[in-house]
Amino acid sequence: MINQSILMADDDADDRFLVQAAFEDNNIPHHILFFEDGEQLLNHLSTTSGDNAPSFILLDLNMPKRDGREVLKVLKSDKQLRSIPIIIFSTSKAPDDVNSSYFLGANSYVVKPSSYEHLKDVIQKISDFWLNTAMIPS
Amino acid sequence: MNLTSLRLLNRSLDERQLTWAIRFLFGISILLIIALSYSYHKINEELIFYSERVDHTQQIMNTLEKTSSKFYQTVYHGRTYLLLRDEANKRAIHKHISDLDPLLNQLDSLITPPPLNKRVKELEATLDELYERTHIYWTDSTYTANRQDQEALLRDASVLIAEANRIMDDLSIAQTKLMHNRMQSRDNYKKQVFRYNWVIMLVALVFLTASFILLDRELRRNNLYRIELENKVENLNRSNNELEQFAYVASHDLQEPLRKIQSFSDRLLLKHRQQLKGDALIMLDKINDSAQRMQLLINDLLAFSRLVNPGDNAQEVDLNEILKEVKSNLSETIKERNVVIDSAYLPGLEAYPVQMIQLFQNLVSNSIKYSKPEVIPHITISYKLVGGSEIPNIKPAHKELQFHRIEFADNGIGFSPEYAEKIFVIFQRLHGRGEFEGTGIGLAICRRVISNHNGYIIAEGQEGKGAKFFIYLPIQPFIS
Repeated sequence: MINQSILMADDDADDRFLVQAAFEDNNIPHHILFFEDGEQLLNHLSTTSGDNAPSFILLDLNMPKRDGREVLKVLKSDKQLRSIPIIIFSTSKAPDDVNSSYFLGANSYVVKPSSYEHLKDVIQKISDFWLNTAMIPS
Repeated sequence: MNLTSLRLLNRSLDERQLTWAIRFLFGISILLIIALSYSYHKINEELIFYSERVDHTQQIMNTLEKTSSKFYQTVYHGRTYLLLRDEANKRAIHKHISDLDPLLNQLDSLITPPPLNKRVKELEATLDELYERTHIYWTDSTYTANRQDQEALLRDASVLIAEANRIMDDLSIAQTKLMHNRMQSRDNYKKQVFRYNWVIMLVALVFLTASFILLDRELRRNNLYRIELENKVENLNRSNNELEQFAYVASHDLQEPLRKIQSFSDRLLLKHRQQLKGDALIMLDKINDSAQRMQLLINDLLAFSRLVNPGDNAQEVDLNEILKEVKSNLSETIKERNVVIDSAYLPGLEAYPVQMIQLFQNLVSNSIKYSKPEVIPHITISYKLVGGSEIPNIKPAHKELQFHRIEFADNGIGFSPEYAEKIFVIFQRLHGRGEFEGTGIGLAICRRVISNHNGYIIAEGQEGKGAKFFIYLPIQPFIS
């Protein structure tokens, strides 16, 4: 198991299950941590030290308690956490959501695919890019 | 709304009748005022005329009086002179005679009617004769006459004097009579002028009040309509907002479970294909198909609901450009089926460009989709400017407007005339899904686009003989 982890915040258990399955089916060896809402994610990040920063975060927009937009705002205004790549992973295709996410500093925006095959493909591409192609802070 | 306002809205005259009633009342009152003013003016002229006549008669009477007094004095001094033969009386005679002349001239010019003027002339003649007979006495101081001559002269003079006095009396009596008549006429007209004044005022007051009451009622009624309209607009805005919320729900919450159905059945196939038997695979396929279809329906519903709120601003659009863009969007299908599109030169108008593209694209692709398999699809687009009265079932308020009529005619499979209305209903299809794909949103979108532009769309068709779509767009779709 590789040291650096991947974080995902999504209130939908099915989505968490499917994403996990997609990571497994793509044989990605990273450890994936799931959170049910923004608050849990922020709590986790506040307790981990800088050395244990995740490779990237998959963040859903519509969640109870603190939603994706709020989490994005908090993370991107935090001196230490702002460098973690954040990928918005939402069902919304609304131009408003896309624009405001990038405005708040999201590193990319991906719409949740509607079939598993497509999801597997998207997870493969995301991992390929953020783990193997792009350089990320370590 | 309270009871009086309800009663007010419940009009006894329709709008057109009311407009005419108001115009009629105004017209009549203006005509009456003009007519009355004219006759008032005439009467006034008469009044002035008679007043002038009265003044004139007054002047004649004054002159007559002066003449008569001068004459009396002349006669008095003449007689005294005959007795005394002195200078003072002689001077007085000369003076009075020279005064009489202009007075007589004045009388002659003032009294113009022939019978009376004749009398004036007679007066002049009598006085002239008197002068002829007597002037020798005071012009020639050496002249003396015997007693007999003098008496004869005095007798003749007395006759002439009496004659002159009678003429002057006659004239005076005639003038007094005239004066009396004229004064009576003048007074009559004076009374009439007052009466006319009152009639004019009353009539104008009655008619103007009537039209004011009608106008006032109409204004109040309009006000109520405005309030009602504002309420309706508010309701409309509310339901539009609700529809937008619904669109959001459809886009997000309804798609969520759908995505799950597709994802899980996908993964089931991927992981457990080997364990599944023949009909289990078929059933799973059916689940997938249905989910995909549901996805399409939701997407179309969303596309339709987005049309409720146009979003972008209307601008000047050249429909030829729109058609060009639609052709390029559909270029693959057009090439594949060798579609022929003949179009007349189309007008430009104020419109929502994106919606116009949707409209044209749906109509063209509809014609291609429902073409006969063995025939090359041929679409003819023609254009004509028409009056609103040519459109069946048009709103009364639109009858007077001018419309662009754009006709899309094809040589496709057509449809039975009884479905001409039904095909515009959302998700209504005339064919099984096996024959033609699609959800049945296209023509519903067309109708929505047309109604966003305050226009009309009408379908005409016959089974196997092609379809025609008539689009009517007002030349000025938007009031502003």
